[in-house]
Amino acid sequence: MTDCGCDQARKDLEEYLRNEVCKTEHADIRAHLESCPSCRDEALVATTLTAVVARACKETAPEELRDQVLSRLRAEQATHH
Amino acid sequence: MTATLAPSSVDLADVDWALMEEQAAPASQTPDHHTPPTSEDTASSDPRAQFEQQALPFMDQLYAAGMRMTRNPADAADLVQETFVKAFASWSSFTQGTNLKAWLYRILTNTYINTYRKKQREPYQGTIDELEDWQLGGAESTTATSSRSAEAEAIDHMPASVVKDALQSIPEDFRLAVYLADVEGFAYQEIADIMKTPIGTVMSRLHRGRRMLRDLLADYARERGIEVPAPATSSSGSRK
Repeated sequence: MTDCGCDQARKDLEEYLRNEVCKTEHADIRAHLESCPSCRDEALVATTLTAVVARACKETAPEELRDQVLSRLRAEQATHH
Repeated sequence: MTATLAPSSVDLADVDWALMEEQAAPASQTPDHHTPPTSEDTASSDPRAQFEQQALPFMDQLYAAGMRMTRNPADAADLVQETFVKAFASWSSFTQGTNLKAWLYRILTNTYINTYRKKQREPYQGTIDELEDWQLGGAESTTATSSRSAEAEAIDHMPASVVKDALQSIPEDFRLAVYLADVEGFAYQEIADIMKTPIGTVMSRLHRGRRMLRDLLADYARERGIEVPAPATSSSGSRK
């Protein structure tokens, strides 16, 4: 396991954090993060951003939508089946 | 609110069914033990019951995505309704055991693009992939990265309304990529299939969308006197 350095780690950080394939070996990025507080902070910002966006975008569909969908589906089935 | 926007027999020509089927798992796939035991029972007898049981639990998620797409509750509700009607109409083409959520999102996204986006007036409608990085902000900075965690802290305390406004203000293609990745946790390949773009485009939209979002949130924090380091590009120093 080698440390890939800041440049490589930053370039593929998003992919690493999302467990996507990238040019740099995940193990090398991991090794770098262990030794580099600054890149760890960058990773923290990245994961925080994801968490905050996910949290902010939560919605509950209006109650009546469910009923509307159910009645549309019943109507569809009556027409086509 | 009732969906009068499109006939129920809307054509699905734009949905790339072949591609969906390519993703189908081999028939030998063992039953998913996470699947609620109920799904098998009612399934065979009545397709509608099966559909309702499997697809309707995604309603909140699809509605949330619809809200970010259409930016208003009435259109989001219509969009979700149309999505379910179309999905049901094509239910027989869905391969059990494959990714239902991704399948529904493809229909949602297609419906949105074909029906709703057309009637929306947005200052910018198309793709802005061609814009240069400098036009999207994010000038190089030599700010000490030791203060970077202050940024994480600030982002973490952002009110949801601010985050949604920021997301709403970034161009649509970027917004969708960020949404699909960050909120829904879709893999790049799945987003590429949903948005019908190459994976490289997905990555570029996602990175730049997140960069814009991050800058907007940092601006917001700074306006309120919270110290956030000046934007450093996500690729700081990596471009040789």
